Amino acid sequence: MERAVEPVIDMRGVTRRYGDVVAVRDLTLGVEPGTILGLIGPSGSGKTTVVRMLAGILAPSAGTVRVMGVEPRRFRRSHRERIAYMPQLFSLYPDLTVKENVGFISAMFGTPWWKRSRLIRRALEVVELWDVRHRRASDLSGGMQRRLELACAIVHDPAVLFVDEPTAGIDPILRKSIWDELRRLRDAGRTLLCTTQYVAEAEYCDNVALLATGELIAVDEPEELRRRTYGGDLLRVRATREVTPEALRDVAGITSVRQIDAYTLVAVTGEAGTSTPRITERLNERGIGVHSIEEYQPSFDDVFTELVARHRDGAVGVAGPPAAF
Amino acid sequence: MNPVASLFRVSSFLGKELREVVRRPGIIAALILGPFGIMLIFGLGYTGSRRPIPTELVLPAELGLPADPATFSELSGGRLDVVRVSEDPQAAMDRLERQEVDLVVIAPADARERLRRGEQSTLQAAWNEVDPVDDSLARLGIFTMTDRLNREIIRVAAAEGITLAAQQGQPVNISPDVIAEPARVETENVAPTQPATLAFFGPAVFALVVQHMALTLASLSMIRERFGGQLDLFRVSPLNASEILLGKYLAYGLLTVLVGAIVAALMVYVLGVPLLGGWGPVAGIVALLAFASLGVGLLISLFADSERQAVQLAMLFLLASVFFSGFVLPVEEFVAWVRGLALVLPVTHGIATLQDSMLRGAVGEEWMLAVLAGIGVVCFVICLIRLRLLLRSAA
Repeated sequence: MERAVEPVIDMRGVTRRYGDVVAVRDLTLGVEPGTILGLIGPSGSGKTTVVRMLAGILAPSAGTVRVMGVEPRRFRRSHRERIAYMPQLFSLYPDLTVKENVGFISAMFGTPWWKRSRLIRRALEVVELWDVRHRRASDLSGGMQRRLELACAIVHDPAVLFVDEPTAGIDPILRKSIWDELRRLRDAGRTLLCTTQYVAEAEYCDNVALLATGELIAVDEPEELRRRTYGGDLLRVRATREVTPEALRDVAGITSVRQIDAYTLVAVTGEAGTSTPRITERLNERGIGVHSIEEYQPSFDDVFTELVARHRDGAVGVAGPPAAF
Repeated sequence: MNPVASLFRVSSFLGKELREVVRRPGIIAALILGPFGIMLIFGLGYTGSRRPIPTELVLPAELGLPADPATFSELSGGRLDVVRVSEDPQAAMDRLERQEVDLVVIAPADARERLRRGEQSTLQAAWNEVDPVDDSLARLGIFTMTDRLNREIIRVAAAEGITLAAQQGQPVNISPDVIAEPARVETENVAPTQPATLAFFGPAVFALVVQHMALTLASLSMIRERFGGQLDLFRVSPLNASEILLGKYLAYGLLTVLVGAIVAALMVYVLGVPLLGGWGPVAGIVALLAFASLGVGLLISLFADSERQAVQLAMLFLLASVFFSGFVLPVEEFVAWVRGLALVLPVTHGIATLQDSMLRGAVGEEWMLAVLAGIGVVCFVICLIRLRLLLRSAA
């Protein structure tokens, strides 16, 4: 019998209050080893509170938090040596150089000086900051400062990384390079929990958890989440003349149809491969030519917006196809 | 616990703090060199002596006394500067009112006749001072002048009497000077060094600079890390509170002792302040003073609400140190509870022990060294408890 994989990060029924304000409510979440969990949500949704609870900076008001099987507030040194935390705001020393900052963090983790140079170089090369190692942190751009923080987070070769908004305020090209680096860490066996406001970055994660107003809306693999949101695959059907949703009524496998414009419909189906010939056949029976049928992937922005709206309205079940493309 | 790893963690702060201070020369200039410069000017420019009080003497012509002001200035022992000798008491009082002079002394016109009749004469003295020190000096000056004047009158009268007795065949074998001043005093200050303003204030300035530097550096240290987000990094890392504190004590202690050594060398070899006790005791006192001052600074840093408040508290501590430590005014002149306040200021003990060691060759009140160490230990323990609480998970 296959043994279930123990999650490295395990939160059960976690609530965190600040006075009367509930920042995180009844959150249950797990992250398996060697994966990236993307914690996605708008500003103020409770992402940073979750990261701070996992890092042991905040204690939960209710529920249990475990990282590597231990409650963060009971971490011993041996646990802390295997954890990295990259805060949302720049928290390094602006008067120190790039290399000195990484060196300080490395020494802070007890790395002997004779091993430090090699580790510093490796970390700075990973984030492509080795060439500016003698530049003061205050003279770096915002993106370089984030990369410097990432170098500081990885210099002691941690097993688990809590990365809070690694790409905030960074241009799209650099954002991708940072995610590439995070995925390389994942590929090397590290477990990562990364928060982001950029919904599109869900595609870089193995699993995605959506947070809104402190509550977990959904958690799944990115593609599965997209499918689950709309109840199946989405097919965009473009006809050669005017067509209405009535034309596809009762086609086997089609669960719902929405009109996009006079010539275009979007149909939700459990299996795109088998539904495509059926749709063609039905339209031809009705004397309507098919211009094109293609699988459509709504953006994660659409998925997220849909899920948040449904959560706000208290709706259950699937959403049906999106209203616009 | 791996002691070697712990050593590396402590050393991480040692290097980081030193680099940060070196990279922020403005802080050293504004917070350390500034006060030091002011104190240096004070030490070099303060003479400790007051100007003589401008005085007018009213001597009626009937007295037949000389009208040379310098003669009377001498009579006051240099405390009064007789700028005018006049005859009109009302005009002199008007000038006193207008503060053209600060002291007026009026001799009675019938002084000579009264003396001949065997009656006492009364000199009228009035002054116009609001400064309590000048008030005391005016009183002292007029008493000195009256005393010397009386002595001179006795000496002249005795000389006349001796001459008269000799003329009548009854010689007196005694000098008029002995009659006027039968006893005199010979003085000697047996201190190992003779009092000099610079020598006396030099060690005090040195102690104040050491305290201020250590306290200012330490008070800004943790406050930036508390509010700059670095404390969160420390919470997640394997660092503990004692490693952080040890690193900071070592870094700022080294820096303070280094700057202290430069200032001390300047003081001894350039300004010529005596060093009777040798460098060893001075180094020990400075180390204790730095330890206690760093503790106070870190306390400020761990409890202040902002960097601005930390700077304000450091400056308040400096102000309290200037007033209550014996730097300007002797501690003994304060009431008991203020003397108690002076005891908790590290610089009070620093000044007293450094002055003893440098100017007398040995520390007289050794308990002060124990108090310095005690302040340091108490502050360290409170800092440790506070930092441990800060590093805990927020409930």
